[in-house]
Amino acid sequence: MVRVTYHSHPASANAKPRAKYSRPQISVIPFSNQRYPALTSALVAGSNLHRGGAKEFTRYFPVLHLLRLLNLYIDEVASTEERRALSRLVHRFGFGPRPGEFSQLLTLGLPAAIEFTLSRPQLDIPESIFSLHGIGDLGDQPAANNISRFVEYTNNKKFQLGKISSLWLSWMVEGENQLLERMTWFWHGHWATSYQKVDEPYVMFKQLLTMRKYALGNFSDFAASMIMDGALVYWLDGQRNTIKAPNENLSREMMELFTLGVNRYVEADVKESARVLTGYQVNKSSGIVTFVPTLHFSQPIKLLGSTQSFDAPSLARFLVAREDCAQFITERIWYRFISSNAPLPASGFLQKSFTSRDLSVLIKSLLSDNSVIYNPSYSQVKSPVEWMVSSLRALSISLTSDLDVDFLFNRLDAMGQRPFFPPNVGGWPADEAWLSTSSAQNRLSTAQYLASRGDLSPISSVSRASRIDALADWLGIVGFSDRTKNALSGAVNDLPRLVTLALCSPEYVVNA
Amino acid sequence: MDTISRRRFIQLTGAGALAAVAPSLTIEDIANAAITRPLPLGTPILVVVTLYGGNDGLSTVVPFQNSIYQSLRPQIALSESEVLPLDNELALNGSMTGIKSLWDRNQVAIIRGVGYPNPDRSHFSSMAIWQSASRQAVRTGWLGRWVDTQNEDPLLAISLGSVLPPLLAGNKRSGSVLPLGGLKIPTGNLASDCKKLSLTSASDSPLQALAARTLGNLFQISDDITPILKAPAPPASDLPTSIGGNAGSETNLTQQLEIVAKLIAAGAPTRVWSVSLGGFDTHADEKRAQSALLGAVSNSLSRFLSQIRSTNRKSDVVVLAYSEFGRRVRGNASQGTDHGTSGPVFVLGEKVKGGFYGENPSLSALVNDDLKVTTDFRDIYATLLEKVLGTAPERVLGTWQGRTPFIVV
Repeated sequence: MVRVTYHSHPASANAKPRAKYSRPQISVIPFSNQRYPALTSALVAGSNLHRGGAKEFTRYFPVLHLLRLLNLYIDEVASTEERRALSRLVHRFGFGPRPGEFSQLLTLGLPAAIEFTLSRPQLDIPESIFSLHGIGDLGDQPAANNISRFVEYTNNKKFQLGKISSLWLSWMVEGENQLLERMTWFWHGHWATSYQKVDEPYVMFKQLLTMRKYALGNFSDFAASMIMDGALVYWLDGQRNTIKAPNENLSREMMELFTLGVNRYVEADVKESARVLTGYQVNKSSGIVTFVPTLHFSQPIKLLGSTQSFDAPSLARFLVAREDCAQFITERIWYRFISSNAPLPASGFLQKSFTSRDLSVLIKSLLSDNSVIYNPSYSQVKSPVEWMVSSLRALSISLTSDLDVDFLFNRLDAMGQRPFFPPNVGGWPADEAWLSTSSAQNRLSTAQYLASRGDLSPISSVSRASRIDALADWLGIVGFSDRTKNALSGAVNDLPRLVTLALCSPEYVVNA
Repeated sequence: MDTISRRRFIQLTGAGALAAVAPSLTIEDIANAAITRPLPLGTPILVVVTLYGGNDGLSTVVPFQNSIYQSLRPQIALSESEVLPLDNELALNGSMTGIKSLWDRNQVAIIRGVGYPNPDRSHFSSMAIWQSASRQAVRTGWLGRWVDTQNEDPLLAISLGSVLPPLLAGNKRSGSVLPLGGLKIPTGNLASDCKKLSLTSASDSPLQALAARTLGNLFQISDDITPILKAPAPPASDLPTSIGGNAGSETNLTQQLEIVAKLIAAGAPTRVWSVSLGGFDTHADEKRAQSALLGAVSNSLSRFLSQIRSTNRKSDVVVLAYSEFGRRVRGNASQGTDHGTSGPVFVLGEKVKGGFYGENPSLSALVNDDLKVTTDFRDIYATLLEKVLGTAPERVLGTWQGRTPFIVV
């Protein structure tokens, strides 16, 4: 097997679009699986989530691989534009490249790389995940005066929270279907439910599995499931909503934040839909939602101009079927994956692609539009989780290895983004909000920690003169500016420092 | 305090990200400036306290004698023994002993029925309206636009916490952010390389340029900040230290205000401070949670103002406390309340003329089951801009006639 490394990739941001660069020096160096532990390690015992990535990748494209062996496949270096599009693909529709992956994608070219990204199998999490990792219903909290039981309960809860957190992080880092993991992460910020109130690891984990199940599926089925999800209903007080005295929390957020968007309904709609969301009782520790028909308002209501009776799932489907839902979901996808500054294109092509409410079609249509993926103005700041996971992937750090997982979650906490703990039902902020001086400090100290524990061999195996260019390919960066090259050049002999600086460079923190 | 109180509305995702501005701040000044160019004594300082989640005004300033109040929310309503009467009709929540003693010193203005026309009941939209002081979707905050009117100074407006609230985002510049506990700065080769990394590059996108600049700011912090942050806070010597007044629980708000008190005492050239507390979205089991939250606000503010009184800036500081909306008059089935409309706003300080302002919304004249809005919040902003920040309100709010005369200079 071989691995291809570019030894130079001039990448000036001032280059004209589609500019062709001079032929690079290309060397073919031996590929060793030892270099890519993360590609082959099966982190989630008992699940088939992580098949040998690099091997499969090359198996997947044998012809290209052969061409690569023959060194015939490339007679020009990828343009800045091509690098930017691929960098967006790996960093926004996945959690960044594993070592060597960006170079491989460059040889494939964008269309094949998109096809590859979209065609990964969705490997489901087996039911055994719960028993395997000791995640389950903790029952009612024992009375505090029963000290031994209380302590045991509290310890179990702490253990389970740690477990679900590290499991999820490991899926993000090692999941073979990166688009699926990335979409699951997106949906967590969309249906933003916090452990802070739900307070049950088992129930939060079940919600995560639901989001992962539908992450690229049909949004109508997804919403119908979520409106019956124990964590979400509990979070938004749905179990306390009665006919006599409605609690509008779930009803309002269902429309405002989950399906339609603000001002695409009136106050009367919030009140009416709260009436039909009655009769759903949540068991706090199991998250099981029980429908009690006698407590449910079954009469027809007038909602958004039509009069009919609803239960919770049919209400969700009704909202999702509205045109405003296509508008809203495409707005949210646009905001999180493309730009929080630039508006959604007026052409409406994304909304149209969502007519069937099939999320994978929407994502495919977004990725396939050249005016989006090549547009140089859509740069985006990596959120703390995105930045950390992409760093872990680049450094081939496996969460099973000798790593202080608590430290990682503390860092995420300090940076303001801990999974399962969104700040509120609106999810996390975007872009500029992650660029405070405080986040810079936290990124720097986290990068130092990661660089001291990661596999730096993809860089140490390269000659000093080539290390900076190798870093850009390794990390999936469009290109380092002269400013950054200058900063890195003093550290080429000190690999941990070199890598720390690269991970904190504006070119890595902000996806071009 | 239960989990609800920690649901922090730090940021307004619904309102979009901040204006794409580069806070070209040099935080080194935060330390040096307090020493080398302290704020002239007598310069007014505004401290903004944002209560995220929609504070229930009726549980804050309580119409405790009103029968409609008692009948519409029987499980939440506070009885006479649970409140601190201010006059024959209205009382403070019983947990607000600290603010009550300031009221007795005539240093608390309570503006009643504050909101804006056609209230929006979405947390995100309504907070965006309050922080931007605009019904349009703008990406700047009212104090960010005030920063725009001033000479460039990174220390002019500072928010405590790790993310910048939209409140302080301007068109040209923004306020800066100061995390709790200060910043640890790398040293040696890494530091010098990072400084190189933080230089401007022509090829940076606006966001990359901002990333470089914030990294640079980190390294411009001098060691001088550390002693200031490590020094003891000014003493709250005129508060009782036994159970009661001064014994407020340590909340995040207490910590934030403690740092603000230290930096004001040290002479930081900062005119605007922003602190916050979340958890006011009391859809369920409101009574206990609300009292705990209001107690935290009251204790930390009275402690803060007491600390300020022990410095030579005691008459310079004015505090504004607000939330994005009040809550529905009628209680819900969960012993809580849903999103409502208007609510009271508090302005505190030595130079404040204490008392009630604004018409109290009548419980017998509800609009769609909600309290009427009787004072536009921009009246308060305009007054603060004029009387505290010394800036013509039009420069921030556009033409705005209304004022609330709680400060007469």
